[in-house]
Amino acid sequence: MCFKVTPDFEELPEADWAAAATHGLQTRYVRRVLNCFDESALELALRLSDTLATRGQTVDLGALSIGGREVEPYLTTLVALGYERATRVAPEADAAGAGPADANADANADAAPTVADAGFELAPAAVAAIVAAHVRRTDHSDLLLLGCRSGPGDGGTVPFRVAEALGWPCLTQVTEIEPSGEGRLRVAAMVDDGLLRATLRLPCVLAVGNAVVSHLRVPTLRDRLARREKPIDVLEATALGIDVAAERMREGCALTGLETIDRGRRGAVIAGETPRAKARALFDSSLRDLIEAP
Amino acid sequence: MRFAALIDGTVATAARQARALAGFLGEGLTGALSADLSGDLAGDLAGETFVFYWDERDKRRLAGLAPTRAVRLVRAAARRPEQVVESLAAAARGGEATLFLAAAGPTGTEIVTRLACRTGGAVLTEALSIEARPEHLVCRKNVYSNHLVGRFELSASPSCVTIDACWNDSRGPTVAEHRILSDTDVTGGIDAAPFEDLELADLPPAGDFAASRFLVVAGYGVGSRAGLRRVADAARRMGADLGVSRPVAMNAWAPMDRLIGVSGSRAAPAVCIVVGASGAPALHWGIERAGFIVAVNPDERAPIVRNSDAVLLDDGVAVVEELAEIIAGRRTPT
Repeated sequence: MCFKVTPDFEELPEADWAAAATHGLQTRYVRRVLNCFDESALELALRLSDTLATRGQTVDLGALSIGGREVEPYLTTLVALGYERATRVAPEADAAGAGPADANADANADAAPTVADAGFELAPAAVAAIVAAHVRRTDHSDLLLLGCRSGPGDGGTVPFRVAEALGWPCLTQVTEIEPSGEGRLRVAAMVDDGLLRATLRLPCVLAVGNAVVSHLRVPTLRDRLARREKPIDVLEATALGIDVAAERMREGCALTGLETIDRGRRGAVIAGETPRAKARALFDSSLRDLIEAP
Repeated sequence: MRFAALIDGTVATAARQARALAGFLGEGLTGALSADLSGDLAGDLAGETFVFYWDERDKRRLAGLAPTRAVRLVRAAARRPEQVVESLAAAARGGEATLFLAAAGPTGTEIVTRLACRTGGAVLTEALSIEARPEHLVCRKNVYSNHLVGRFELSASPSCVTIDACWNDSRGPTVAEHRILSDTDVTGGIDAAPFEDLELADLPPAGDFAASRFLVVAGYGVGSRAGLRRVADAARRMGADLGVSRPVAMNAWAPMDRLIGVSGSRAAPAVCIVVGASGAPALHWGIERAGFIVAVNPDERAPIVRNSDAVLLDDGVAVVEELAEIIAGRRTPT
């Protein structure tokens, strides 16, 4: 399992977005949240493990996240939920405790228009290299689950990049996963032309999309206490043989600027004393003509 | 520089891919590499289309969809990305194109990503536009959950790009006559069927919302599953389709196929009433092509208030029920 913790972009005030094009974007003070697709993937992995357990089979679950110390509470929660291994990879040295993204934000605070704290955040090639190296060198999983996309880049390329590096097949927009015999999974995925159900042989990469299973379960206090001694492994990317700067150079794709978006609408407030009065005013002023037009 | 557009004709979405690519080539691609739709391969600005097909009987029709005059037909099996990627990688290594363009979607994302990985190229997905400069490409795409547009420099070659789904409904110029440059078969030799026992079911959502003229989108502010039921009933009485924001779908108040926004469907209704949704950019992407957006929300600081045409600062469920009464009343014969 691979997951990402991101700033909650919805918490940033409009003024910050408006200033981003000229002053960069600072998200250091914004609370962190689990990427929604990763959250689905984490829960689907637990459910797959539960199903196999009822058949007398065990699943060795591992969780990996790349980032600063802000990801560790999430790893602790996953350990409490039954993940056997929890690993945080710091893309750059972060002994002082600040996340690498935040360190970049500080460094770029006065720089013009730019990546600001996007730093490592917009480096899918480096992320994929780290994930693939982790699977190959230390984790030895035969199923990699992750969300189909995550901010700020929302590119959706990491699952396929990892699959390429590992030489595995990959299916994205996965919504359901069930065991299907030895070394096989039955999977549902939204594809361009419909809902596909297919059986996949392991090893493979599955990138979870709009799954109905969208919330990660909450561990009990007993779970937390029982597993509180389990350590979280912390590695630097270099320990996996990954030079993040070199990976970024090789990527051949760099963010050079940000633009604000003018959505071109200026909401006119419809006045009225009651919901009915407002609805009537809206209908008379514009809606009647619009919905009754041929 | 040459570009290659990609159409996966082994699946049912070939016509939509072709329309999107034609629209993008007509308006989204600018600069030194302007789209030469006449497909003069002798010139530096030429473009061609790789059309992948499975059924021999279908290939002429599929070739006719190509947004460039020059077409390369490639016979490949459906859902076998390995075959598609390897044939494109061979073309890239042969210098037949330095920019590969695919339509939005999981297939396009997989193809361009794997292609870039194998050829040392650059990849970018969901491009809003591309400006070709002599030394590199400048691509614009939405970032930060659609709060901002990022400008990216693509300096590696080939550049492998999917275009944003906003081009899906475009109407680009059509090409009257195509020239088939090659017709190859890559179905043999690669044993890489990653899937077994395939079943494909139609997905209802995109088609439904694409045809919507009147849409009500409910957000988490409707308060509960019961609140959503009231909005759904009001929408039905108004003759509107019902979409929902991601928090509503994630709480299982409505099925995922009702989801509007970046991770769901994109609609272009004449009228869209947004009830109890903050109007985060990821949702707004799904409705921004609406002719007229009405926001019903008690919070005057909600983003939807600034990004709509008319605003009713009030309880969304109550207002939409009143609207339903007014509209349904007009339709009921007296």
